[in-house]
Amino acid sequence: MLNDDELLRYSRHLLLEDVGETGQQALKNAKVLIIGMGGLGSPASLYLAAAGVGHIVLNDFDHIEVSNLQRQISYQSDDIGEAKVEVAKRKLQQINPEIKVRSINKAMPEMQLTMELIMADLVLDCTDNMASRQLINKACVDAKVPLIVGAAIRFEGQLMFFDHSETDSPCYHCLFPSSEEQTLNCSNAGIIGPVVGTIGTLQALEAIKYFVGLPSGIKNKLKLFDGKSLDWQTFTINKDPKCTVCGQH
Amino acid sequence: MKIHVNEQTIELAENTNIEQLLTHLDKPFIGSAVAVNQDIISRSHWANTIINEGDKISLFQAIAGG
Repeated sequence: MLNDDELLRYSRHLLLEDVGETGQQALKNAKVLIIGMGGLGSPASLYLAAAGVGHIVLNDFDHIEVSNLQRQISYQSDDIGEAKVEVAKRKLQQINPEIKVRSINKAMPEMQLTMELIMADLVLDCTDNMASRQLINKACVDAKVPLIVGAAIRFEGQLMFFDHSETDSPCYHCLFPSSEEQTLNCSNAGIIGPVVGTIGTLQALEAIKYFVGLPSGIKNKLKLFDGKSLDWQTFTINKDPKCTVCGQH
Repeated sequence: MKIHVNEQTIELAENTNIEQLLTHLDKPFIGSAVAVNQDIISRSHWANTIINEGDKISLFQAIAGG
């Protein structure tokens, strides 16, 4: 049951036929793991906390640097040198004291990630490197936990959703099978803040839709965003029967 | 035959597969994703996927930033 404060706080959700009290209760019961608290994780976590997602776990091992502040909107100049997850946790609790936020201030070893996935309903991959992305994908496939992947560089964004609770779901590895590739990241290629913010915001939107039971428009799809033209392209991701991560399941 | 690669029309020999197309365009295999008519072709199917006249090919790179 929602208390009086919550009924007031979430009144704009309660007006929505697609959310209502049932959906808000589902958000309150939801457990989300956000891995990476940079340019994607900042807006994603802010929106999910504000929306009333009841259990949010934040994971990152970075400390805030001045070069983060151009796009990582959870942080301000006073926070430089502090652990991202601790500052972000404080911020989320200030926005919404009704929810529980837990922080994991380290690079999680595989076993800890597996343990965290037992407690998670959904994972947002907001990381900044291919090795982490492959590790998270494999762990989510094994644990059958749905995964919303965001990525951004320069003026480009990528967004995808894999529901690993379904056995015939493709996975991130079906799309990008190599972890050793020289992929572009924000520190070597640059990034525009609102582009990574758009993708992180859409990860939050897809998460909210998932929790309230709305179908995702991007399941097994890859969305490519062009921040210059504002054009989106949509591609279907097919399961690779020879995929070394999800092909055996 | 004529095909479209990232919105540009190019001339390509008949019976070309995706691996051959990437080589022809001097694109790296690693980190690339390829879609034919909006359908992403898994890496393991590149060699046996033959490109047809008029196909719309999309080539893009994995990005990891966040």
